Amino acid sequence: MSVRFHTTARRRILAVITAAATTSLVLAGCSTGNSGSPGTGSDKNPSGTIRVLYNWSGAEGDAFQAAVDGFTAKYPDVKVKLDNVPFAETQSTLTKQFAAGNPPDVSAALPGIVSALSAQGLLMNLDSMWNAWQDSGEYNDSLRAIAAGSDGHTDAVYFKGNVNGLIWYRTSKVTDAGLKVPPGSWDEFLAMLDAAKATGHAPFSVGAKDVWVPTQWVDPIILNVAGGKKFGQLQRGEIGWNDPAIVKSFTVLNDLITKYWPSNALDTGFADETCGWVTGDHFFANNGAFVNGIVASCDSSLKPGDDYTFFTMPSFSGSGTPGVAVSGDLFLGAKSSKNPVATKAFLKYLGSVEGQSIWAKRGGYVAPNMKVPSSVYPTVNDQRAAELWPKDASTVAGYDLDDWIGGEIQSKYRNALDDLIRSHDVDAFIATMTTVDTRSGK
Amino acid sequence: MTSTVESSRSGDRRAARAHRSHRAAVTPYLFIGPLVLVFAVFYLWPAIATIASSFFRWGILNPWQTQSPADWQFVGISNYGDTLASGDFWNATLNSAIWLVVFPVLVLASSLPLAILIWSTPRGASFFRSVFIVPMTISLAAAGVIWTFIYNPDPNKGLLNAALHLFGLDNASFTLGPLEIHAGHWLSNPGVLHLGFADIRLVNLFIIIPAVWAFAGFGVITFSAGLTSVPDELLDAARVDGAGRIQLIRHVVMPSLRPSVIVVTVISVIFALRTFDIVFVTTGGGPAQDSEVLAMLLWNQVFQFLNSPQGGLSAAIAVLMSVFMIVIAMPYLRATLKGNK
Repeated sequence: MSVRFHTTARRRILAVITAAATTSLVLAGCSTGNSGSPGTGSDKNPSGTIRVLYNWSGAEGDAFQAAVDGFTAKYPDVKVKLDNVPFAETQSTLTKQFAAGNPPDVSAALPGIVSALSAQGLLMNLDSMWNAWQDSGEYNDSLRAIAAGSDGHTDAVYFKGNVNGLIWYRTSKVTDAGLKVPPGSWDEFLAMLDAAKATGHAPFSVGAKDVWVPTQWVDPIILNVAGGKKFGQLQRGEIGWNDPAIVKSFTVLNDLITKYWPSNALDTGFADETCGWVTGDHFFANNGAFVNGIVASCDSSLKPGDDYTFFTMPSFSGSGTPGVAVSGDLFLGAKSSKNPVATKAFLKYLGSVEGQSIWAKRGGYVAPNMKVPSSVYPTVNDQRAAELWPKDASTVAGYDLDDWIGGEIQSKYRNALDDLIRSHDVDAFIATMTTVDTRSGK
Repeated sequence: MTSTVESSRSGDRRAARAHRSHRAAVTPYLFIGPLVLVFAVFYLWPAIATIASSFFRWGILNPWQTQSPADWQFVGISNYGDTLASGDFWNATLNSAIWLVVFPVLVLASSLPLAILIWSTPRGASFFRSVFIVPMTISLAAAGVIWTFIYNPDPNKGLLNAALHLFGLDNASFTLGPLEIHAGHWLSNPGVLHLGFADIRLVNLFIIIPAVWAFAGFGVITFSAGLTSVPDELLDAARVDGAGRIQLIRHVVMPSLRPSVIVVTVISVIFALRTFDIVFVTTGGGPAQDSEVLAMLLWNQVFQFLNSPQGGLSAAIAVLMSVFMIVIAMPYLRATLKGNK
């Protein structure tokens, strides 16, 4: 009996070992492709599978798919599995997956989350990739700074750029109302808005139900009223929200909200904002260059440039050109990727002229890569927006304030903006933000 | 010899009896064992880990782990102290309290009369029951999305604003004592009830309504089941004694439905306290923090505030919520256990 037991036990142990060995072999056979330590810059031909998390839908989703198709045409041995998440849930999805030890190889992200993930050492170091791009004049220092992590390295690729603070309008509607565009000064700007308001409709269509929309108003106004230097200092936490120049900026914003926004701004989402000036009663919307690609969802018969276009806000002080408010989407690579070679190849492709030209050709997009020629943009609106992209060191530019800060401050800043829209109380807004953002110690 | 054999047989019988008795004592544990194991692994351990982690500082990207004591940042009960001292917590508690009061009341007030009406309908009871149960099959997130269309501020799209437009009440604002109303702004700023010590934001009410719409089916089912247990003899006797329809319901039907009322109330209260999804899809807790409930605050602290790791704070909120839920679920548990006895 004892002998039989031992024999059975041995057989079981052997079976377990055989099964384990077989499983290991099978798993090895099913590996995700070439591996190697991240950041080694392996020159192996990329192969295997990578998982990519992104957050666009509709026309933007199709454009990103086209960029992915461009990559897989170039690297046919790489299979790209796409995970789509709603924009607002990108951060929580990414956080959960990183926390669970199962992050995507590549993911869309904003600077705030790049900073948080890099602080934990979870992201690939892309310094060598950026060094090469800068050597070839494709990016400058300020664009690289947007993709920097908090670990002293550049941990993301800047894939999709956007120029904010563009005042969009329907040419026929503005002409019919006798409004003079573009206004040459801040006073002319306000006079034009007053004239629009006199028609009985709020001049601006505003989709503040989507919390990022009002933040798009703040950046160009701070850059215009307080200037690029103060914008940068506020962003980095070097000055407080109670700095007089910042208070003045929010006072100007509050005046615009009070006089020229519709009363239902907080009930209206971004999609309704766009259709509000394209087909609705409003004359203008203040939003990014990407809007050019969305107008067709309200009225596909309109021709960009002829039927609708934009102007930039005139200088508040009357001297000089206001700084350019920019934003956009980054892509990061997980340090724990099982397929770092293909991951890096994909990131490199997204940052390249080739990768970015694919979406640029479709419109509603500004390529961060400075070597993407303006001739690739399909419409005059896209070309004009791309010309605003800060390509030289003399251009004052500010990256989306709250996306850059991220975390708790971003969340509470958005709440405080909602309150400002409702209450028109600048002092309360400044007091809240001074309590929330204590980085400057003021 | 015989006595030795008998004694041996008797010994065997005793041993067999003892063996059977031992097996009888052990067998139930063998049956219940797997369930206990599942409970311990998937319920008890996470609960213990949550309670333990509420005494440490951690974030979702560097979670508190039992096997890494070197990385622990023990903060004692300060997560509880910070939570109870936080304005965000009390704002979320107030909003959750609105849910706790209004949601069960509306569920009872809608489902109980519906169930009684269906019960007293001579024909088509199962059809009407199905009609009211159908919304329950829709996820709360989907219910929230459906109602955001109803609440759309554009009268050409939103049903309610179309009705307001019809009566010329677009954007009408008025004040009734402490009550401030802004018609048409259903999910942004529909109004405030100023109580002096607190402001009750009415946006919560307009999120609760779709939740009630989706949840009332549960009440209808539960009350319908309860109504089948009302003895016909009792109803006939009451009718013979001259009881009218209202008296019949008040004095015969309602007392029979008391256990169902407890079940619906307690389940509604638990549901109200842990509500998240419908708030997330309709307002995201906004505008500002007007509709942020405790579960949403907890979620924000874990997944949004990454650069200020507050996992311990959210664990403290989870513990406080659980304690509260256990306390309010007691009547239901007692009623259930009593029923089992």
